[in-house]
Amino acid sequence: MRKPSRPRPAAGVSVRQAVPLGLVLLALCGCRREAREVRLDPPVAAALAGVAAMPNGIGGRPPEVYFVLGKPYRGNAYQLSEGKRLYAWFGCPECHRDGEGSGRGPSLLDGWWNHGPGIETIYLSIRDGRPGGMPPYRTRLTHEQLWQLAGYVQVLGAYSASAAAPGRSDQVQSRPAENRAPARFAPLEP
Amino acid sequence: MTHDRRDTGLGDLALEAALRRVWAAAHGLWGLLATVDHKAIGRRYIATAFGFLILGGLLALAMRWQLSHPEARLLDPDRYNQVFTMHGSNMMFLFAVPVMEAMGVYFVPLMVGTRNIAFPRLNAFSYWVYLAGGLLLWGAFLLEMGPDVGWFAYVPLSGPQYSAGKRADIWAQMITFTEISALAVAVGLVVTVFKQRAPGMTLDRMPLFVWAMLVTAFVVILAMPAVVTASTALILDRLVGTHFFNPAEGGDVLLWQHLFWFFGHPEVYIIFIPAVGMVSTIIATFCRRPVFGYLAMVLALVGIGLLAFGLWVHHMFTTGLPRLGESFFTASSMAIAVPSGLQIFCWLATLWGARPRLAVPMLYVLAFLFTFVLGGMTGVMVASVPLDTQLHDSYFVVAHFHYVLIGGAVFPLLGAIHYWFPKLTGRMMGARPGRWECLLVFAGFNLTFFPMHILGLWGMPRRVYTYQPELPWAGLNLFASLSAVLLAAGFLLFFWNAWRSARHGAPAGENPWGAPTLEWATASPPPPWNFTRIPVVGSASPLWDSMGELTVAEGLRTDRRELLVTSVMDATPEARESSPQDSIWPLLAAIATSVMLVWSIFTPWAVVWGSIPIAVTLIGWFWPRGTPEDES
Ligand code: HEC
Repeated sequence: MRKPSRPRPAAGVSVRQAVPLGLVLLALCGCRREAREVRLDPPVAAALAGVAAMPNGIGGRPPEVYFVLGKPYRGNAYQLSEGKRLYAWFGCPECHRDGEGSGRGPSLLDGWWNHGPGIETIYLSIRDGRPGGMPPYRTRLTHEQLWQLAGYVQVLGAYSASAAAPGRSDQVQSRPAENRAPARFAPLEP
Repeated sequence: MTHDRRDTGLGDLALEAALRRVWAAAHGLWGLLATVDHKAIGRRYIATAFGFLILGGLLALAMRWQLSHPEARLLDPDRYNQVFTMHGSNMMFLFAVPVMEAMGVYFVPLMVGTRNIAFPRLNAFSYWVYLAGGLLLWGAFLLEMGPDVGWFAYVPLSGPQYSAGKRADIWAQMITFTEISALAVAVGLVVTVFKQRAPGMTLDRMPLFVWAMLVTAFVVILAMPAVVTASTALILDRLVGTHFFNPAEGGDVLLWQHLFWFFGHPEVYIIFIPAVGMVSTIIATFCRRPVFGYLAMVLALVGIGLLAFGLWVHHMFTTGLPRLGESFFTASSMAIAVPSGLQIFCWLATLWGARPRLAVPMLYVLAFLFTFVLGGMTGVMVASVPLDTQLHDSYFVVAHFHYVLIGGAVFPLLGAIHYWFPKLTGRMMGARPGRWECLLVFAGFNLTFFPMHILGLWGMPRRVYTYQPELPWAGLNLFASLSAVLLAAGFLLFFWNAWRSARHGAPAGENPWGAPTLEWATASPPPPWNFTRIPVVGSASPLWDSMGELTVAEGLRTDRRELLVTSVMDATPEARESSPQDSIWPLLAAIATSVMLVWSIFTPWAVVWGSIPIAVTLIGWFWPRGTPEDES
C-alpha cells in the first residue's frame, strides 16, 4: 500500500501468495528502471551492433541482447538521461533544437516520423544518417551511445510521459520537460 | 458534574483498578495498533530507531571494507554513492533525530509528572509516518533506487538535469516523512512541558532533560519549515519543471544550500541538545548532587538553541561568499563554543570532589566528555575560513562530525539507555558487559575516526569509492577499517546486552539509582496511567528533598482519562483536562498520508486525489463519539 504501483492480486491468487509475488515483480521492474551499468561487458557492447536492418534502412529488428538486457534504452532512467546528455554534446540541437526542429532538421517531438517510429529505425537514422541532410554518427559514437540516443529521441516523441523520462534541464526552457507528457502539448510541425 | 467519580478518598487498590479500566490499551493486535500511550509509542520509536542504527552501521562497515585497501572491488561507484547517501540520511533522519525525540516522548511526560503526552493521537500518527518514511528509503535502496546524491543533496547534482530517475525524489520525500513526524512530536512536547507539569514544578524546578527537550522541540519547529520548503521546491523542480534552482530561468543554486543548512545546522543541535540533557541527568544522579549552575545550564541550552540558527553559512565557506559574510559567520560559529564550554565547566564543577559512582551510564558520560571536547576543538578549527578552505570535503570533516555526533550524542544516548533501561523494561541492564561495551565503543570509535583527521590533512577527499595504490592513504585506511570492527563489536555487545537484560536482567525497583526526578516515583516500567496520584513538587530534586514521602494531588475523575493542566510559569493547577482514548485513525491517517506522498513522486495529481483519503481519515479521527473524554 505504500507503493502505488504494486499490482493488485488477480482472481484465484490468495493474498498470501500475492504479496511476495508483488514484491518480486516490483523488485524486478524497479531494478530495471533504476539500475546503472556504467561499463558494459565488451561482448555485450559488441553485440549491440547487430541490428537486423531492412535494405532501405527503415524498420528491422534490434539485436537479441537488447531484449535480454530488458530494453534498457527505452525504460531505464539512467540510460535515457545519458541519451539526453549526448543529444546536447553531439550537436543535435544545431538542427533539431530542443526537439522542435529548425530549418535544418525536422522536429522530433511532433509524433511524426519521416522514417518510422521504431527504436531500431531511429537508431539507424542516427548511425547511418539520412539523405535529406542528417549526418551519420557511426564513427563518432559507440553502439551503446547510439542506442542511448535512440531511446532518448523516441521518448522525446512519445505521446505519453513515462516516469523514467528525464526532467527539465538547467537552461532557458523552450518546451515542457520530457517527463511532462510532451507530444500531446507540443506545437504541430510548422 | 455532580455524579462523576473522583479519586478523592479512594484506596490505592481501588483507584488502580479504576485507572486500569480507563487507561489500559486493548489486548491483541488491535491494542498494539490503536494505542496512544506515550510509553508504548516511545518504546516503539526507540526500538525502530536503533533498528535503523544497525542498518546504517552495516552500510558503514561496507564502506570501511571498500576503503580498507586501494582499488577494492566490493562496491562499484554507483553502489558506493547510494551507500554513503543512505548511511548519512539514515543516521541523521531515521536514527539520530527520531531517537532523541523518542527519548523525549517516553521520558518527558514521566519527568514532569503527567499521565500522557499532549496530543497523544498526533504522537501515534507521527510514529507511523516515521516508520513509513524509513520503509520507503530502505525499500528504494533494495530496488537500486536508493538516493545517491549525498545526505544534503545539493542541487544541481540532485536537480532534474543531473539526477536521473526517482532516486533524488525518494530522498526528498523521505525528508518530508521525517519532517512531519518530527514536527508532530515537537508540538506535543512543547505543550506537555508548558501545560502539563505537576503542580509546583515551576520553570526553575524543571529537570534539565526536560529543558533540553523543550529547547529541542522549539528548534525543530523553527528549523524544519526551511527544509520542507527546500525539499518541496526540489520535488517541484524535478517533477513539474519549476525553476527554483535553475539559474537560467531566474532560480538560484545557492538557495538550496541556504535553505538546507538553515535547517541542517540546527539539526545538529536537535541531536546534541537532548544529549546535553541526558548527560546532566546522569551526572546529577551519580554525583548525588544537583548539577552546578542550573541557571547557567538552562541559559546555555537556550543560547545554543538560538545561536544554532545563526551559523548555517559556515557549511558554505567555499562557495565564494562576500568577505564580510564569511567573517561574520566565522565569529558566530566560534561564539557557540561559549555556551558549550559553559556547560562543560558546569559538569566539571559538579564532578569536582563529588566522587561520582562509576556505573556504566557514568562511564559513557566520561567517554562523551573526552570525545566531545576533541570534536568541539576540530569544530573551532573548521570554523575559520582559511583552514576550512583547505579541509572542506576532506576526511578531516568526516572525522570532525563523527566526533561531535557520535561522541556528542551517541555516547550520552547509550549511557541514557543504560540509565533508563529499568524505566523502559523494568530490569537492570547488565553492568559487566556494559563496562566492556563502553570500553570497546570508546576505543573502537577513537581508533577508527582519529586517523581520518590525518587522512584529511593528507588530502583524502570524502565520498570517494576508492583510491589508487600510489597514494599514501592505504595504511591509515586499513587501520581505520580494522578499528571499525572493534567499534562494531562494541555495538554488538550493547545490543546483545540490551536483548538479554530485557529478558533476564535483575528486576529493578522503582528507583534503582537513587535518582531525584519524578520518573523514578512510579513503578518500573510505569503503568499505562504513569502516576496513580499526580505528584506535587516542591523543589528541583523532588525525590531527594521529600525524604521518601511525596505530596500528591487529588480530585481527578476516574471514569475517564483525565490529567491536570497547570500554568506555564508556576505550574499552579488550572483545570482538569481529558486525554484522548485509543484510536486506530492515526494509523489510517498515516497510511493515507504515506500513499499520497509516495504517489506524488510519480505524478503531481497524487496531491489532489491522495488528499481525499487523508481528509476521510482525518474526519474519522476527529468525529465526536460521545465518550466521557469528548465532554468539556
Ligand atoms: C546538420 C543538421 C543535423 C544534425 C547536426 C543532426 N540532424 Fe538529425 N536530421 C537532420 C535532417 C535534415 C533530418 C531529416 C533527414 C531525412 O528525412 O532525410 C534528420 C533526421 C533525423 C532523424 C529521423 C527523423 C524522422 O522523422 O524519422 C533522427 C532520429 C535524427 N535526425 C536524430 C538526430 C540526432 C540524435 C542528432 C544528434 C546526434 C542529429 N539528428 C543531428 C539534420 C541533422
